[in-house]
Amino acid sequence: MTQLTHTDPGGTPNRSLVHEDWDALTFKVHRSAYRSPAVFQKEMSRIWGHTWLYLGHETEIPNPGDFKSRTLGGRPLIFCRDSSGKVQVFFNACTHRGTILCRHSEGNTKFFQCFYHAWAFSNSGELAALPGDEAYADVPGFKERHRLRSVPRVDSHEGFVFISFDPRVPDLLTHLGEAAHYMSLTAKIGPQGMQTVPGVQLYSVKGNWKLAVENAMDGYHFAPTHNTFVGYLRETGFAVTDDDQYAYDLGDGHGLLILTGHNGRIGMVWEPRFGEAEKERTAAKRQEMEERLGKELATEVADASRILFVFPNLLLFDLEALTIRQIEPVEAGRTDVRAWQFVETGEPDEVRALRIKTMVSFVGPGGLATPDDIEAYEAVQRGIEATAGSADPAYDWSDMSRGMANEKQGNQGRSIDEGAMRSFWRQWSRRVEGAPALDTALDTALDTAPGA
Amino acid sequence: MGRRTVTRAEAEDFLYREALLLDEWRLDEWLTLFEEGGRMEVTTTDWNGWDSSSAGAFMCDDYGLLKARVKRLKSRKAHAENPHSRTHRMISNVIILEQGDETAWVAANFIIHRYRDNQEFTYVGRYEHVLLVDDEGLRFRLRRSIPTMETMAPGARLSFIL
Ligand code: FES
Ligand SMILES: [Fe+2]
Repeated sequence: MTQLTHTDPGGTPNRSLVHEDWDALTFKVHRSAYRSPAVFQKEMSRIWGHTWLYLGHETEIPNPGDFKSRTLGGRPLIFCRDSSGKVQVFFNACTHRGTILCRHSEGNTKFFQCFYHAWAFSNSGELAALPGDEAYADVPGFKERHRLRSVPRVDSHEGFVFISFDPRVPDLLTHLGEAAHYMSLTAKIGPQGMQTVPGVQLYSVKGNWKLAVENAMDGYHFAPTHNTFVGYLRETGFAVTDDDQYAYDLGDGHGLLILTGHNGRIGMVWEPRFGEAEKERTAAKRQEMEERLGKELATEVADASRILFVFPNLLLFDLEALTIRQIEPVEAGRTDVRAWQFVETGEPDEVRALRIKTMVSFVGPGGLATPDDIEAYEAVQRGIEATAGSADPAYDWSDMSRGMANEKQGNQGRSIDEGAMRSFWRQWSRRVEGAPALDTALDTALDTAPGA
Repeated sequence: MGRRTVTRAEAEDFLYREALLLDEWRLDEWLTLFEEGGRMEVTTTDWNGWDSSSAGAFMCDDYGLLKARVKRLKSRKAHAENPHSRTHRMISNVIILEQGDETAWVAANFIIHRYRDNQEFTYVGRYEHVLLVDDEGLRFRLRRSIPTMETMAPGARLSFIL
């Protein structure tokens, strides 16, 4: 691919914001990709409108009638388990005149009743009752036409529930591709399965959503950004290494870092801060895993830490302990983040406590590490204003070429290079800048939305 | 040690002095307000009374982590707090909820304004502390902050002590 001349890519929508040159070994992203409301609008339509999105985990709603209300891609949704036990995902808008139907963030109910005119919907979506229905012609037909609207596609893999607002997306497993395998590995850690627990970290960062993705796929920042965290681990008796850590392009924008020797893994790889009792349990658990999974699979599940990115909004951190992080873009410079602790079902209380303490001490806005990541996204978001529309347009690009020479030689990319980011950006460019193969009324609506 | 009564005035003095130390970033002195083995928690915004060892949290520090947090925050490499945020704490509605032989359970409301990068963040919440009571005064056995907000607002991270 030869170098193209870019003068003002932000202002000319036909030119790519992602610039890759394998002769010069350069990979650049134009900074308007993080700043521009027009780009953001396009992302919401071309990505969020047309691909599988991570919604939540089945264990968040374990019992019939359990529900969570959650906004995804800017759309308020109800994520619930109906009375028959089936997972349902509805648009959280009354079919009468559009009122938010469920105004609670979570709970358990057989019926969702709209407060406005008191229409009541069953938790499987039927319009069960509407006051004064004699004023409508053909009441059964009217009720049927005013069922609660389900999102077009809902499917799950290993308990991770995904939805799509476009009915024509390929099957979930096709979308997940190789990422499905790594989700399965994580799901196999606990002999009784894995689950979320309450205590969800809800926070918001003043940075573009793609900065959060880049940061998670970026091993290069770990040593300098997390200097104090690395220092803390050293004091507990554990030396972090960046050796033997690799980045994998799983296709379709999904990415994976496999980190060996980066940290302990509760129940699988012991490190001193977990304590002596955990050392013995780790040996016993490894035995259990080998019996249950076979030695080879047990090794693959247990030995290395993994950070998995499932395009576009799921990060699965399988490290010291586990966190599911969901990214919800709000505007070009703002991203809401939701993070769940993901734990082994039925594990001993003291292990659960250790797991939560350990994970919270690292990730989340109050951890010893994540605040510095947030500082990074926010500092980038502020910094890229400096070069917007600058006299020399070459200033307004960010560089992601680290490791390209190594990659060109056919070597596996290291986690401390930028290959995982490059695969993300390639997919981003295909979705956002490529031909809109799946254009629908939804895009037109999004593209022309007032105030967009 | 023996039982003695903690007055609201004494609890207020303790909390006001703590706020002063935190606003002035005198973290080593602040750490001495904890008993050896003391803990600190910041609950998530969906907190429903559950035990911190069975549910997620924003902070869940045992004494070792607490010391590590102080050490980190004093470092120039704690990027999220270099430069330090300016904080301004208002504490009110102090109540002694219960008093036992060794400890007092003290609640208070807080509003913390944080300023950094020409931006302003407001944190509103409630404290529910377990304080060790002895002849020397009061110390934290458990320092717990419970945010009232529904979510951490954009940019409102918890890189400082809430
Ligand atoms: S808008 Fe819901 S019942 Fe009228
Ligand atoms: Fe990081």
